[in-house]
Amino acid sequence: MNHLNAVTFVILVTSFLIVTLIGFASARWRPAEDPMQLTEWGLGGRGFGTFISWFLLGGDLYTAYTFIAVPALVYATGAAGFYALSYTIMVFPIVFIFAPRLWSVARVRGYVTLGEFVRGRHGSQGLGLAVMVTGILATMPYIALQLVGIESVLTVTGIGSTSGNVLVRDLPLIIAFGVLSAYTFLAGLRAPALIAFVKDILIYVTVIVAILYIPGRIGGWAHIFSVASTHFKTVNPATGKPFGSIVVLPAGEWAYASLALGSALALFVYPHAVTGVFAAKRRDVIRRNLAMLPAYSLILGLIALFGYMARAVPAVNAGVKAGGGNSQLSVPLLFARMFPSWFAGIADSAIVIGALVPAAIMSIAAANLFTRNIYKELLKPDATPAQETRVARLASLFMKVGALGFALALNKTFSINLQLLGGIWILQTLPATVLSLYTRWFHRFALIAGWAVAMAYGTVQAYRTPGGGQAHFGASAAPVFGHVIYIAVAALVLNLVVSAVLTLVFRKVGLQDGYDETRPADYTADPVPVPTAAAKTRTPAIPPR
Amino acid sequence: MAHSAPSRKRPATLGTVAVLLIVAIIGALWVPIYARSTPKLGPFPFFYWYQLILVPVVAVLSWICFLLLKTRPTPDAGPGDGGGAQK
Repeated sequence: MNHLNAVTFVILVTSFLIVTLIGFASARWRPAEDPMQLTEWGLGGRGFGTFISWFLLGGDLYTAYTFIAVPALVYATGAAGFYALSYTIMVFPIVFIFAPRLWSVARVRGYVTLGEFVRGRHGSQGLGLAVMVTGILATMPYIALQLVGIESVLTVTGIGSTSGNVLVRDLPLIIAFGVLSAYTFLAGLRAPALIAFVKDILIYVTVIVAILYIPGRIGGWAHIFSVASTHFKTVNPATGKPFGSIVVLPAGEWAYASLALGSALALFVYPHAVTGVFAAKRRDVIRRNLAMLPAYSLILGLIALFGYMARAVPAVNAGVKAGGGNSQLSVPLLFARMFPSWFAGIADSAIVIGALVPAAIMSIAAANLFTRNIYKELLKPDATPAQETRVARLASLFMKVGALGFALALNKTFSINLQLLGGIWILQTLPATVLSLYTRWFHRFALIAGWAVAMAYGTVQAYRTPGGGQAHFGASAAPVFGHVIYIAVAALVLNLVVSAVLTLVFRKVGLQDGYDETRPADYTADPVPVPTAAAKTRTPAIPPR
Repeated sequence: MAHSAPSRKRPATLGTVAVLLIVAIIGALWVPIYARSTPKLGPFPFFYWYQLILVPVVAVLSWICFLLLKTRPTPDAGPGDGGGAQK
């Protein structure tokens, strides 16, 4: 259905090659005295200042979710998809509150992952394991979402062949992912941190050009909103209800607010976001960044509007229909139909690279979790830093293979659901992680029980929710007490109630509490960095432990 | 490892920061405030331009909070520390 455009193809391949070169070269960037330390491979030496942290965190948070999944939802349902903008507005003030405490305790105690913090704070291996398992589980579908994003670009550019053989059809995707795995393996977090520069430049250029250029070509914003409004008023024959609306209806307000709040609370307990925070050099770097990161939110808001632009272009609607009603093709199709082919190549590169960077960070973060919480904790407590790094490298490969399986096997109609499903799981670690930064009131076993109950509830509830033509795992919001809300938030409330009640019970029966290895001063400490930035005047690094 | 003294901020400062952050969060969380199409800004319904304008507003509020909570780097860290590109 889509013919290969030679110009678009060449530009896409060229930018991929440039990024690959940068990825391999990044191993020599800000060289470490001992590259076989896990903090070097997995946290880039904990030496990133404001500038790099901004790109890294942005590269972390703005992913194929932003470019493909959100506009696809807006394209299909209208205003409901804008919950993502509301989410990215409130996420930074929320994180502003707790991230500095988390950074401080991790720096003082040498933690690389949230699982280690929880184990140290509550003296509970089990709770640390629960956090680790949840982190890996929730990251898988998030990486898969990145793959789905790349795939939709490849489909529209005509690179993915139409062969019935899965391996042949997805070969370009597998190659791209294989190359990504190779330089992540070699360079660790330095690779995505450097590539994030290229990614952001491409994205900002693409979004600014699209916002200025496309509306004029298709009749202006008034026309775009009027087409969308008319479309969403028409009744969907499948459901008997209108397709959507361009302003959230009262019945949808709970879902909108809870999806935004749940996603915002979940974001910074994801392993990859924590990795971005831990890699910062100073405590102030984090707060300063959180005040500057909303620039990305603005971009996300503009990208969400692409969904309406696509709605106003008949050729895009025809293309989506031809692609089996896959609304994720809407943005790549919009680029292909509206831009000259050379600029379509640049815009497509922005999406593909914008998916590769977070996929790399996510797999590194998950690898850190595995290494510190399983390998070092359970399998080989006396592992040397070099052994840790080797294990983490291999774990990052396994993570990518797993995600590839996820992406190739799953229904992709609404890839945003992959991210929302991850959110349901990861949010259940919030009491053990974020709340524990402030209080040790909760009993360690009560936290485990609350987590287990909420994980089970959230998974079952998501399984039972139909949507998008699927009987199971079809949507992430379900009716609770008469309101349709994001399952993650309902599960979190259940989690907190169970944890609180059992804490009271366990204290009553005198069940022993764990030993807390952290000290109150750890949470506000601002250790002076080892002068890693000036590599020439480097003093031997003080081991973190 | 050298530690700078934990910063103790005055309650008034912490209170101000808390209020600013809560205002920022509620502005996005309280959907009924902005789930309407009028007043329009040009062709944009209220729902859209409110949220798009809220982004820079929240950024400014967060920046004020950052300045209020900023700790002075230890003297030997130098005046340019923590700033722009570290390469």
